[in-house]
Amino acid sequence: MTLEFTQSQACTTGVELELQLLKSHDCNLARDAADLLARLGKVKHPGQVKPEITESMIELNSSIHTHYTALADELRTIRNVVVREAELLNLRVAGGGTHPFHQWSERRIYPTERFKHLLNLYGYLAKQFTVFGQHIHIGCPNGDDAVYLIHMLSRHVPHFIALSASSPFYQGEDTGFASSRLNAISAFPLSGTMPFVQSWDEFNAYFDRMYCFKIVESMKDFYWDIRPKPDYGTVEIRVCDTPLTVDKAARIAAFAQALANYYLTERPKRATRDIYLVYNYNRFQACRYGFAANFINAYDESHSSLGDDLIATLKLLAPYAETLESGSALNQLLDETAARRNDSYWLREQLKKSGSLNDVARLQSNLWMGKPERS
Amino acid sequence: MSNFDFLPILPLTLTPPLLFGLLLLLGLLGGEVARLFALPRITGYLLIGVLFGPGGLGVLSRDLIKESRVFVDISLGLILFELGRRLDYQWLRRNRWLFATAIAESAFAFWAVYFGLRYFHYEPAFAALAAAIGIATSPAVVLLVAHELRSEGQLTERMLLLTAINSVFAFFSVTMLLPFLLLEQHAGWEKTLLQPLYVTLGSLLTGFVGSYLVLRFAGWLGKREDRQFIMLVGMIVLTVGLARTLNLSVLVALLTLGILARNLDFGHKLMAVEFGHGGQLFFVILFVVTGAGLRFDALPQALFIAGVYIVLRFLGKALAILVFGRLSGLRPGAAGLLSIALLPMSGLAVVLVQHTSSFFPEFGARLSAVVLTAVALLELIGPLATQFALKQAGEAGERR
Repeated sequence: MTLEFTQSQACTTGVELELQLLKSHDCNLARDAADLLARLGKVKHPGQVKPEITESMIELNSSIHTHYTALADELRTIRNVVVREAELLNLRVAGGGTHPFHQWSERRIYPTERFKHLLNLYGYLAKQFTVFGQHIHIGCPNGDDAVYLIHMLSRHVPHFIALSASSPFYQGEDTGFASSRLNAISAFPLSGTMPFVQSWDEFNAYFDRMYCFKIVESMKDFYWDIRPKPDYGTVEIRVCDTPLTVDKAARIAAFAQALANYYLTERPKRATRDIYLVYNYNRFQACRYGFAANFINAYDESHSSLGDDLIATLKLLAPYAETLESGSALNQLLDETAARRNDSYWLREQLKKSGSLNDVARLQSNLWMGKPERS
Repeated sequence: MSNFDFLPILPLTLTPPLLFGLLLLLGLLGGEVARLFALPRITGYLLIGVLFGPGGLGVLSRDLIKESRVFVDISLGLILFELGRRLDYQWLRRNRWLFATAIAESAFAFWAVYFGLRYFHYEPAFAALAAAIGIATSPAVVLLVAHELRSEGQLTERMLLLTAINSVFAFFSVTMLLPFLLLEQHAGWEKTLLQPLYVTLGSLLTGFVGSYLVLRFAGWLGKREDRQFIMLVGMIVLTVGLARTLNLSVLVALLTLGILARNLDFGHKLMAVEFGHGGQLFFVILFVVTGAGLRFDALPQALFIAGVYIVLRFLGKALAILVFGRLSGLRPGAAGLLSIALLPMSGLAVVLVQHTSSFFPEFGARLSAVVLTAVALLELIGPLATQFALKQAGEAGERR
């Protein structure tokens, strides 16, 4: 079994956002995904909206973009349509990597064959998988480039985690983590990273072994942080929490796009196994402490604050963002990083102000729906 | 002086704690037996009430039922408040077709029953009052069946919203019809006009003041669920008591309290408190007592017309929901189920009939023969219908 890597234009990008559906009266998770999707199926909108593993989630997909501004515009357009239809059903929609207080045991699996199969296979993990991520696709001209880009992006996984972190609360408690969502994913047997292969042929040899063992049937079965998506011709970054706004989601996509532009244009470094020796340490630090995490650079063994390393990276990327016309997005990320403000910080602030997680859920849905509250 | 005066006097009297405990345990028993047959628990409570009530074994006499009034009032208060909180003005504002559904659902049920009864030669006043009472769905049944099934989704939400609205419509229709009846009887204008005005405005005002106090209290207490729970139960029971003492409508006062506590809470001070196990205690008693109060004595004569009444009421509601449901965003196939879910009729109707009877004893007796027979039948069918609809719609939670 070999996988053909579809050729696509380098550095094009598209995003998938997993979103929370909330009930209006208590802001707990709702179960109305099917009704909302049925309505959305009847109205015209760009991109796609799809079901996810439980009835409390939907997934919003953008189309393929070369420019950040077009991506941001399209995401806002889809957002507005989703919000309009959701409001007719008295539902709220929210970003954020986790719902602050839902109980996983109350979730119900969305009734499709694949999701039922996952429930069968993974048991309670499938329901605990009601967490919400942003996936970013980056186009690659060929499989070898994709493999190289994955190794290079792996160094930046902590950056993506700290930038997007929006899951401080889980099951009604403050976890102390900036992103608690990734803990739910680590439980899956096929999570982790792509093995240290150097070319698309090597990757195919690995995939073929796994296929022959009947461990996997397709790329979908790997829950890696970054995985190749040969049928789209992309590399898919999967570590981000869904940010609290679509604009933030677009900015993080612009960051990924600029990184890809830098690495595929300059080929500044070779892939080394050291990236994966420090990988889990760096990843955990980023989940736990966000920008304040300790970061180990695999190439020079130096330690620094993750925020500082991110600022240095963003400055390095500036010219590559300029050619993609996404300089403004990266500048804004730079400001947010300098101020050490991510969505987890904002969510904790809201809890301090309002005193209850129901209010936090309400405020985060107001933010995503583009309807900040009068105070 | 007897040497045995420390012994109680026989026969023993049922003191309130004895009564409360007895009703609870009997209800519990009925509920669990009902579960064995996959029936809703409240059907079990009701049947226990019927069995031990005046029409059955007679353990629960009419006097005892009166004694238990306070427990019934507390549980009705909790239910009406909770239902009022489900009436989301913002949803109606954004979804005009839903608003249209709510109006049509009440109106069509009224007209269907009205013309049906006219066809069978009932006089206009009688037909109108019976029809007005029929507008209402039982708040207690729909809310408790939804709770028991842990039902969630569009059908559940709409069922609760429509019930809140049709309860209000039923009350106002009856209140507005009464003056016409009074005029026919040549009553003085003071009574004709002032009485409905007093009840309506008084109840609304009581609910409004209550909701204002609830929100002030909640702001003062902060986001502490246990404190807010006690405060809410206190305010609810107080409002029930006040409405009773002032001869106002418990229904309107408590629904108003719930609706305003939700829709005037601009600062989001009130938490989404669930009544949980504490509420369950009162709900068991509510239904046992309701069961004991069911009237089957008129059943033989009134069976036919009560059947007609039930069918027409259902058709009226169903027509409205079939016409407007899809437009308001209800998924295909759900309209029929929603109509079935709205079938239950209960305590509220009994109250409205009694309300009428207090003005017109003779008229009231004929009215209760028809309406209360329909209520008795629907108490038995209604919870099953709602349970069936919610399960069929796939909105019931997974069984634990």
